[in-house]
Amino acid sequence: MIPTFMAYQIAGRAMSSSRANIDVTGNNIANVNTPGYTRQRVDLNSISSSGYTEKYSIPKTTTGFGVEIQNISQIRDPFLDIRFRNQNAENGTYDVLLAGLSDLENIFDEADTEGLQSELSNFQEQLQIFSQTPTSKDVSLIVRTAAQKVTQIMNVYARQTEEVRAQQIYDLDHVIIQNSFNAKVKNIADLNLQIRDELIHGSTPNELFDQRNTLIDELSGLVNIKVTALPEKISENLTIENLNISIYDSATSGYLGIVSNGQYNTLSVADTGDSVEIRMSSSFGPFDGKDISANFSEGSIKGYLDLINGKGAYADPLANENTFHGTMYYKSVTDTLAANFASLFNDLNTDAAGTVKPLFVAAEGTAITAGNIRISDAWLSDSAYITTTTSDLTGTGGEGDNILRMISGMNSDIAFTSDPTDPTSQVFFTGTFAEYTSGLIAELSLEVELNQNFSETAATVLSNLSFSRESISGVSLDEEGINLMAYQKSYQAAARYFTALDEAVDIIINKMGLVGR
Amino acid sequence: MRITNNMITAKYIRSLGTLSYDLDRLNTQVASGRSFMKSSENTSAAVKAYRVRRDLSKAESYQSNIDHAESFLTNTESSLFHMNELVQTAKERISVGLNGTTTKNERVIVATEIRNLQNQLLQTLNTNASEIHLFGGTNTDLPPFEVSGGKLLYNTIDLDTLVSGSAQEAELLGDSLYVDIGLNAQFDPLTGQADKSTVFEYSIPGLRITGSGTTSINGTDTSNNLYNLLGEIATEFESDTFSTTRMNDLFGHFSDVSVNVINTLTIVGSKTSYLEFMTERLETRTLNLQENQLALEAADPAKAIIHFESQKMAYTAALKMGTSIIQPSIFDYIM
Repeated sequence: MIPTFMAYQIAGRAMSSSRANIDVTGNNIANVNTPGYTRQRVDLNSISSSGYTEKYSIPKTTTGFGVEIQNISQIRDPFLDIRFRNQNAENGTYDVLLAGLSDLENIFDEADTEGLQSELSNFQEQLQIFSQTPTSKDVSLIVRTAAQKVTQIMNVYARQTEEVRAQQIYDLDHVIIQNSFNAKVKNIADLNLQIRDELIHGSTPNELFDQRNTLIDELSGLVNIKVTALPEKISENLTIENLNISIYDSATSGYLGIVSNGQYNTLSVADTGDSVEIRMSSSFGPFDGKDISANFSEGSIKGYLDLINGKGAYADPLANENTFHGTMYYKSVTDTLAANFASLFNDLNTDAAGTVKPLFVAAEGTAITAGNIRISDAWLSDSAYITTTTSDLTGTGGEGDNILRMISGMNSDIAFTSDPTDPTSQVFFTGTFAEYTSGLIAELSLEVELNQNFSETAATVLSNLSFSRESISGVSLDEEGINLMAYQKSYQAAARYFTALDEAVDIIINKMGLVGR
Repeated sequence: MRITNNMITAKYIRSLGTLSYDLDRLNTQVASGRSFMKSSENTSAAVKAYRVRRDLSKAESYQSNIDHAESFLTNTESSLFHMNELVQTAKERISVGLNGTTTKNERVIVATEIRNLQNQLLQTLNTNASEIHLFGGTNTDLPPFEVSGGKLLYNTIDLDTLVSGSAQEAELLGDSLYVDIGLNAQFDPLTGQADKSTVFEYSIPGLRITGSGTTSINGTDTSNNLYNLLGEIATEFESDTFSTTRMNDLFGHFSDVSVNVINTLTIVGSKTSYLEFMTERLETRTLNLQENQLALEAADPAKAIIHFESQKMAYTAALKMGTSIIQPSIFDYIM
């Protein structure tokens, strides 16, 4: 038997536990559309008094003491969190790469527009027409205009590639690092401190957990992170967990702390000209002021770094440069094209007397690149500067042999060297200009196609993972509705129990011992 | 597995996104008539298509070159016909001078006629079309033929001094205009000169028509070129010591040399018919290339529209489903 009034307590706790359940259900329903909300549950315990612990106990059968609200907890699977965050990092990489490469494709692609390929074809067509009447001044003007268009479109390619790169650097610096990464690590560290305080005072800050988890989820899209919890003993019976976040490179197993409980490290972008570095300004750890670009293996920051620094075949393996086919690679590819194009035509434009007459030049003293190639002043002032013949048989230039030589040069295989003035320099491609250009487009569009596939696969996996997570942590209105009905009934039942007790007591007090009255 | 409302909504939004993306793609295909708008949508087709575009552009250039050569040859042909007429008339006049005349006055009249023909021949040899002299070889700017001291000069070289079979003669005979008509133009790696068998020569060097050098006839050096020869004939007619034997020799030589005109006409004819053959070939090639291009780049309208329609149905169905999926929950049935 339990004491009479103890039973009132049981009834009271039963009612309040049902109330708590109804409240939590209400909270769940209210947050059905809140991003990052994890459904909550009232943890209930049945309580009993065990006779063995009492001093003068006699072994006896007792009923339980009813129910106790132990905690209000979140339903969450930490393993799914890890998988989700890893996948999110992968997703972030591909999304950024795909967007950047598509930007590049928009510059170079000629499926639906006219670009370098059609200008080269046009230049060749004009040369053919010029070969019909090599002495004609007006046709030579048209040839020069066609050549000018070739140089201009190369300039446009170079400028637009540079713009895409500048845009990527800006996005990385301002959008991703300063406004996203740095803000997030700071917020997470702040939340860590708040959560610690709450935990020490014995409360369960579910809403803060949700906020922090959402931030970590977002952070995981930016960089490959690993979240670890470090237990801290506050008192004999209270141990809490402090949260640490590191940039984790699974290839090298290298950890690089970014959040350690209330401390955090921010990043900054340093543009060193042909590459950018990501430097850490550290409040803890040994990486203060160091370039940590090599530590990013996934996430959108990695995607940006690849796009900005990627030099592809032009990377110096000794200097450990980025070998992704990024903006720097396509810039170099067009530079090589421009330099070899200029070199071929300048060599061919040597006149009968052997004088070299350059048709294409760059600014004084600099190597020819796609960005600076232009028609030489001598050609600009005299359209007939182009050598039509190297034969001096009749001396009137009616023979168009050199024009045919130029056409033939455009149509024959040449070795595209990194430095056309040095025949021993690295050869990147052997083929015609047209093959080189369409090879460039093919390479780029394959890259886009590949990353599109990667991105789609990654997105599907991510969405499956987020469904799995949602399946565990998400609020289902049906479920909450049914729970609401059930808790309402249990509340009614508890109240009915209370009434029954009350009536029993009423009998003892008012009805007992009144025999014959 | 628990299915929450958010999952259903998210999935629904995602599939609507995919459906409308496909719808947009098919719509663009129908509207633009292209099967891809960017190379990355179909890289292999795009690369092939670029090659076809290049080949088409080349074929166009070759056709333009052929047209140019053809019109040039047409002009050449009519000039040659005119020269042929001049030669025939000259022969007639010489026959008349030989057979029907006895007095010097009559011979002088024939001589004047011949000198007239001689001048006309010179003018015809210097014909130009669109400011290009037809018979100057690669000298297109200046009149190739001029007369100095009664001698015919071709590109400033006295034709009489040209030795038959000499290098200079070969060089002059080989000096003609040419274009690339898609025979894979090659250059001699040593001399850097065009390999004439890989290009198309369309102009006739004038000396091929007139003839060059001199021939000794019965001990007298006689010019081999039509112009000088006509001059010599006229001079003989005007001469006080007119010799029928000499005139017969000259006439015979003139007839021999004038065969050049007919020969050249034959060459021009065969060149023209070769160009016609090449035009036909190029047209077939262009047609094939265009078909290729269509197969690679064009969207099949029937296919695209059918796909579009079925995609539209899927989209409408999804929209309809959405309204019935999202609404109901237990709350619609409580109480």
